[in-house]
Amino acid sequence: MKRYIGRRAGYSLLSLFLLSLTIFFFVRVTGDPAALLVEPGASASDIAAIHHQFGLDRPLWVQYGIFMSQLFHGDLGQSFYYRTPVMALYLSRLPNSLILAVAAMAFSLIIGIPSGILAAVKVGKFWDSAGKVFALLGLSLPAFWVGLVMILLFSVYLGWLPSSGSGTPWHLIMPAFALGWYFAAAHMRLTRSSMLEVLGSEYVKLARIKGLPQWFVIAKHAFKNALIPVLTLAGINLVLMINVAVVVETVFAWPGIGRLLYEGIAFRDFPVVQGVVLMGGAMIVGVNLLIDILYAVIDPRIRLEK
Amino acid sequence: MAASDDRAGTAANLSRRDLLAVAALGAAAGVPRIARAAAPTGELTWGIHVTLASTWLDPAETQGIITPFMVLYALHDAMVKPMPEKSAAPCLAESWTATPDGLSYTFAIRKNAKFHNGEPVTAEDVKFSFERYHGVSAKLMHDAVATIETPDPQHVIFKLKRPWPDFLTFYSSASGAGWVVPKKYVEKVGDDGFKAAPIGAGPYKFVSYKPGVELVLEAFEGYWRKTPAVKRLVMKVIPDESTRLAALKRGEIDIAYSIRGELAEELRKSPGLSLKAVVLQAPNWLYFPEQWDPKSPWHDLRVRQAANLALDRKGMSDALFLGYCKITNNAVVPYTFDFYWQPPEAVYDPEKAKKLMAEAGFARGFDAGNLTCDSSYANMAEVAIDNLQAIGIRAKLLPIERAAFFAAYGGKKYDKGIIQAASGAFGNAATRMAAFVVKGGAFAYGSYPDIDELFPKQADELDRGKRAAILDKMQQLVHEKAIYAPIWQLGFLNGVGPRVGESAFGTIPGFAYTAPFEDITIKAG
Repeated sequence: MKRYIGRRAGYSLLSLFLLSLTIFFFVRVTGDPAALLVEPGASASDIAAIHHQFGLDRPLWVQYGIFMSQLFHGDLGQSFYYRTPVMALYLSRLPNSLILAVAAMAFSLIIGIPSGILAAVKVGKFWDSAGKVFALLGLSLPAFWVGLVMILLFSVYLGWLPSSGSGTPWHLIMPAFALGWYFAAAHMRLTRSSMLEVLGSEYVKLARIKGLPQWFVIAKHAFKNALIPVLTLAGINLVLMINVAVVVETVFAWPGIGRLLYEGIAFRDFPVVQGVVLMGGAMIVGVNLLIDILYAVIDPRIRLEK
Repeated sequence: MAASDDRAGTAANLSRRDLLAVAALGAAAGVPRIARAAAPTGELTWGIHVTLASTWLDPAETQGIITPFMVLYALHDAMVKPMPEKSAAPCLAESWTATPDGLSYTFAIRKNAKFHNGEPVTAEDVKFSFERYHGVSAKLMHDAVATIETPDPQHVIFKLKRPWPDFLTFYSSASGAGWVVPKKYVEKVGDDGFKAAPIGAGPYKFVSYKPGVELVLEAFEGYWRKTPAVKRLVMKVIPDESTRLAALKRGEIDIAYSIRGELAEELRKSPGLSLKAVVLQAPNWLYFPEQWDPKSPWHDLRVRQAANLALDRKGMSDALFLGYCKITNNAVVPYTFDFYWQPPEAVYDPEKAKKLMAEAGFARGFDAGNLTCDSSYANMAEVAIDNLQAIGIRAKLLPIERAAFFAAYGGKKYDKGIIQAASGAFGNAATRMAAFVVKGGAFAYGSYPDIDELFPKQADELDRGKRAAILDKMQQLVHEKAIYAPIWQLGFLNGVGPRVGESAFGTIPGFAYTAPFEDITIKAG
């Protein structure tokens, strides 16, 4: 078991190292941040001064070395745009993203799981078709469009909810819905397919043959087993909601990590983009590692596989 | 921001009496309207279109873009800065004089100028702020100044290494070097501490700041010019334009920056809201980089003149910016800049353009290759291509991402076809000629000897009138040679809610945002 955990942890560290390398070089392909900090026509000396200030006049490998050395000390560097430590920026936005992600996840599970179960139980009937339409809309309607329609309807015309910002539970409703809508559809689809698979299994057939009531078969035997892949996906989705809710956070001016990433990309703020991507990557790798370990604990065959 | 400079006392050939008179005028222009207003009340909220950066809280960090000034005008104050009454208005400096040789500038600091912590603004603070400044043009300014003397707390003397006619332009508006911070406080808290809790000498003092989210300011009742009318200002970042408009309609914000196109039309129609347009100091133009190649159609003056006549600037402005762009017909120099020359009015005459094309031997037109532009202004370029097509000049649109575009433009990579570009850089007519017209200019793909000859002459000329005449001549030659086809100065559209009395939009020529903040009011009742 220890060897298994060690090997998985090693893979995780290697993934993070490769991610750091990739994001470091890819973000630099996007262009020169100095060009966005001066007006066109600025003198070469002003642009050179910005390069020097940000350390961009050094060779790439030196810049990467500094970045990694800072990273080992828990320092994500200093934002070009804000001139403040990226870690402090990240942590200041994290609570907002956590609140939004948890609310959106709760919404997506409350909508997605029951509708997925209903679609599977009533397969080929009205509720199944309704669920498919819901999933199609959820997966195909862009979040920014859903967000803008909601703002128009609930803020401008009905005047029920604030259009943007944060601070009260009322501010949370629309962004949580807009963000959770897509994931609700995804969870619905996975729940449906997982339930269909379980409902066709031998032990469920046996339960029915034994004369157990339908609701009991679904709740006790089918649902519990069908839930495992849904919750696994939900775990990963939660990390995505925290880190990359870029569009929803921008539309609703929600001060979360997604907006920080958007600002980082828009201003070519390399340390911010690197920091946010790495933190997001670390969360995903961490969750995956945890899942791997849990699987190994539950099913010994997994850890014995070579 | 307007970099125009009606400088009091900078003309080197003035007599002492003239200098005194001019200095007195400077003092008069800046006389504070001390009539003490009632205590500030109420709150106004801005919906900001860009991300608020902490660097904007510190004048030492001022980059060469206009956006930081939206905050600087509230929180800080400068010795001299553009104001409604003057483009170089006395602010913390109540007057100044320059020696006839143009080597020394003496500023007298206003006696009632105070920082938010109650300490007076002194000559040491002015010197410290200049030396600490490391933003745009810092090297240029530091290299030009030999020494800064502070004979007493109310006077500061800048001694230059050599005469520099543009010193005051750069000190007052083309950089942040003239904005003053409290020396003692900055030394005590350090640079990061200052950005976290800045103390300035402006009309509003710092309350709180959430990076990229919100800035809250409160009226400073000890401000020298006047007591602000509004007690509390909140600047909220709302990146999405539609959301800003929705927030304005709901009354969640009172002022929304940058509402464009169809949303601006909707704003104009919304009851209770008003649209405020500000003409930016950024002219847009078409440039013909092949004009120095004898084999190119663009080498023929008549072809370039035809392209100028083909542009329906008014129609374009009406369609894209509700008609709020200013058509000056000066390609690269904004009308608010010092030494601006006003060309004859722009003419839209496609028939005459076709005639000129025929005379030049291009009656059937020609393929002009790409019209390359910054992708954010591709809508403008599309209309320009249609206009040129109407007289037979066939071009293909090539929109390039902003930074990549300007890097390649400056790198002289677009030496074929047509370039559509703009510049909002600070300076005056001379700095624009240097960058876009004369030999060796960062964005000049070629030059004309008669214009090149004039450039060093104006740079050495200390007599303001003579210098203006040379710069007028240079701009006139740019116009006559049709080096560019000017388009316009862009109209920046904003929304104002029903609670706002005076929004202070457009009071400082060329400045995009609301200022001076102490002039902003809430409607009574």
